[in-house]
Amino acid sequence: MASAEEVRESLVSFADSCNENERLTQMNKDWNRIVEIHVTDEDADFTLVTQDGHVEISDGKPTTADMIIQAEGEILTQIFYGEVSPNEPYNAGTLRVQGAESDILHLDFITAMLWE
Amino acid sequence: MKHVVSISLGSVTGDFERDLQIGPEMVHLVREGVDGDMDRARQRVRELDGHIDALGLGGIDIFLYVAGKQFVIGDGQRLAAEATKTPVVDGSGLKDTLERETVRSLVDRGLIGPGTKVLMVSAMDRFGMAEAFVEAGCECVFGDLMFNLGIDYPFTTLKELEELAEKYRSRLLTVPFHMLYPTGSKQLERKPDVRFQKYYDQADVIAGDRHLIHRHKPDRLDNKGILTTTTRPDTIEEYRAAGVSWVATTTPDMDGVSGGTNLMEAALVAVLNKPLSQITRSDYAEWSNVLGWHGSFHTLAPIIL
Repeated sequence: MASAEEVRESLVSFADSCNENERLTQMNKDWNRIVEIHVTDEDADFTLVTQDGHVEISDGKPTTADMIIQAEGEILTQIFYGEVSPNEPYNAGTLRVQGAESDILHLDFITAMLWE
Repeated sequence: MKHVVSISLGSVTGDFERDLQIGPEMVHLVREGVDGDMDRARQRVRELDGHIDALGLGGIDIFLYVAGKQFVIGDGQRLAAEATKTPVVDGSGLKDTLERETVRSLVDRGLIGPGTKVLMVSAMDRFGMAEAFVEAGCECVFGDLMFNLGIDYPFTTLKELEELAEKYRSRLLTVPFHMLYPTGSKQLERKPDVRFQKYYDQADVIAGDRHLIHRHKPDRLDNKGILTTTTRPDTIEEYRAAGVSWVATTTPDMDGVSGGTNLMEAALVAVLNKPLSQITRSDYAEWSNVLGWHGSFHTLAPIIL
């Protein structure tokens, strides 16, 4: 079981990896999105914002979101540390993602570029 | 008479039937669209299994071959597995042979060469064509990220394509194919994205999948050449109206239509009388050469080189 703080650390690590990857920054240059991340077993929320290729994490829920990601803390930390592909928990039903198909595909692509 | 059917995830509006003489055999070819309905595609594959000589799958791939490595498309493989008796092909074998030859024929015609700017809307699904353009000295933009994933990032080298294929290998197994490629009625829609217009504008030649070209193309394509497949008479007229100079297809013309590579490959498999596992790229190359299979060429407007 991962605490809200551990989820936060995994998100910050994910954002750092994205921001340090020059090619990914270019690929994300016009993908400006707000993503709400809900930790279901901790009742904690985070906001991931992508703007002009840069990724930022903050505490709490956004007022509006393009995508909502929900899972237990353990699963979220595994995903954002790149220990598992999002596909596995998504297909198992333990990760819920709401949003446009194209945005889901884009976020999944980012994880593939970082860790595969 | 041999019977071959292509089950296509594309629109039924592209359906046709033709008879084609291949060596001593007459082959009846049928293209049957299912409008993107994967359940219907599975059902038709099961119904036809054991009753025809070979099956092609259109609008979906089973395998991608990038730099000699095989990558499995999960949805395509599962669909092919519905047939247990009839051999199933996706055209990747023939693409790798015919499409290289078609590019070389354009070099021979003097239409492409060193410095020609080529936009290949997607190249991972026709790596042989991409390699042939690079060998001819063309300056290529490979649009796989743009036109399959909506990401404005052009690749310009084969190495980048190889890298993408490796990184995306596990996703190809699991991501629903319709998220990567337009199927059914989406193939008829045009959704030009202003971010990508510059790649069309800068290109002398636009090559690759006809549906991807159609979906994203701007209104005008003046003085450009198109290299594609699965054309119909209305496709040629659409290009003419957009100002295109020439259209080359990679598969032979059959009374106004060029079949998908999957259908043509299935036709060869039907007459080769060899188990699918024993048919090699050399067989496809040899037979298409013996049969004199070459793509069609349409001059639509004065060609400005």
